[in-house]
Amino acid sequence: MIEVRPQLAAAAGIFRRDMTVYFSYRGRFVTQYVGMLFTLAVFYYISRLVNVGTFQSPDAYFSYAAVGIIILQVLQSTLDIPMAVRQELVAGTFERMAVSPFGPIASILSLFLFPMALAVVSMLVTILLTTVVFGVDLSWPTVPAAIPVALMGASALGAIALLFAAMVVRFKQAPGTAYVLAAISLVAGFYFPPSLLPWWLEWASQVQPFTPTVDLLRHLLVGQSLRYSAWEDVGKLVGFTAVLVPIGVGVLLVAIDRGRRQGTLTEY
Amino acid sequence: MPLSDDDHSGVAFRARAQPASDRSPDPLLAVDEVSKWWPGRPEPTLDGLDLELEAGDVASVSGRNGAGKTTLLRIIGGLVAPDSGSVQIAGIALGTDRRAYQREIGLLTPGDRGLYARVSVQRNLDLWARLALMQAAERDEAMRYCYARFELEELGDIRVDRLSMGQRQRVRLAMAFLHAPRLVLLDEPATSLDAPALELLRGAVDDLVSRGGACLAVAPEGAETGLGRGAHFTLRQGRLQAT
Repeated sequence: MIEVRPQLAAAAGIFRRDMTVYFSYRGRFVTQYVGMLFTLAVFYYISRLVNVGTFQSPDAYFSYAAVGIIILQVLQSTLDIPMAVRQELVAGTFERMAVSPFGPIASILSLFLFPMALAVVSMLVTILLTTVVFGVDLSWPTVPAAIPVALMGASALGAIALLFAAMVVRFKQAPGTAYVLAAISLVAGFYFPPSLLPWWLEWASQVQPFTPTVDLLRHLLVGQSLRYSAWEDVGKLVGFTAVLVPIGVGVLLVAIDRGRRQGTLTEY
Repeated sequence: MPLSDDDHSGVAFRARAQPASDRSPDPLLAVDEVSKWWPGRPEPTLDGLDLELEAGDVASVSGRNGAGKTTLLRIIGGLVAPDSGSVQIAGIALGTDRRAYQREIGLLTPGDRGLYARVSVQRNLDLWARLALMQAAERDEAMRYCYARFELEELGDIRVDRLSMGQRQRVRLAMAFLHAPRLVLLDEPATSLDAPALELLRGAVDDLVSRGGACLAVAPEGAETGLGRGAHFTLRQGRLQAT
């Protein structure tokens, strides 16, 4: 029988390790938000040019884009995991994870914890910046509900990150994570409504979990009306996550098993 | 009959002709007919290798570069799967109950890798104790033991990337012994260690043996494992030969 407390302590240990490493680079936390401030400022001034039927005012477009930026940074946090696995391989610490009773799968899953927690903090700071600096009018009562929705979206993308992590374990590289994020940005409506996409691309906005994530977040953060019912969007998000995460874990298991058999688990 | 070295450490390099009745029914480590063939090599690196260690055994294996010493430790440690043959630790077969199997093993990998550079010695040890799924009280006790045994008290708060190579090796050794495994596998443990540090290593091996554990160390031909005791084998043409 698996004892839960030691497992949680191990996951907490990896969380604390990642936090220690993150804060060992002084100023990283602050510079990250300076960069975010600039990004928001760019979209703020772009929004001043927007005067189309889809958006009633420049502020409406800025609110729309700001939420896209917020969810993008949450999703980005999970796509950093394959690179973290690569760093573990290079540092020889992945071997430690692989020979530990906690095991390589649980260790890799634990690598998600700190980046996702940091992403939530980043999300809240960005929300604060959009409100204080750029005057976006948030629907505050529903802001707390945005956190689990964002984490659910990140978990769905985490499944894709697990596939890339499996690729790193197997082939020691995982090109294409940046393309994944770019493609999601394109079809999920981060910066513009998916209805603007050509018909042959618009279907793509329906067959992945990020469009409902962004729609729900816009609804919760800035009160934008939903295209479908909230429960339908939540159902899609939960469904995608429930299907994709086990697939990601399964592929990672196969990659680790192949690495053991072929003796490449220790290579980098 | 088993081959053993002069100090009668009891390490059994199992001969094929050994009658089953002479063998311990459940050795601490049983490597049976293990073979591994790396791609691109004309011969198998390990070719039907047998090895048994009983509780209290200490064994050193030497061999030329590329002879398969590290491969042997990685197979026993669960990092590499053998092409054929089997490995058991305390009756647990490699590839069956992974968690129970790995709990019994402490592995020192070669080189100076396996540490988080920007994290303190204390945090590195604590993380490893957690990954070993030790309870909180066990972790504290294990940390105290390792601090004392490897003289790490004054290094606890220092980041690993600010340590000397010898100090890092002591931390790495401490991690191999930390969770009180019954079998400790050491790949070139003497690397970067000065004479006092080698004494610390020997003390840790003595502690391991006294609590019924066993130790298997490897080093290149002409170099010492630093253990200063136990049986010696040479790994040649994929098999162990007593020396």
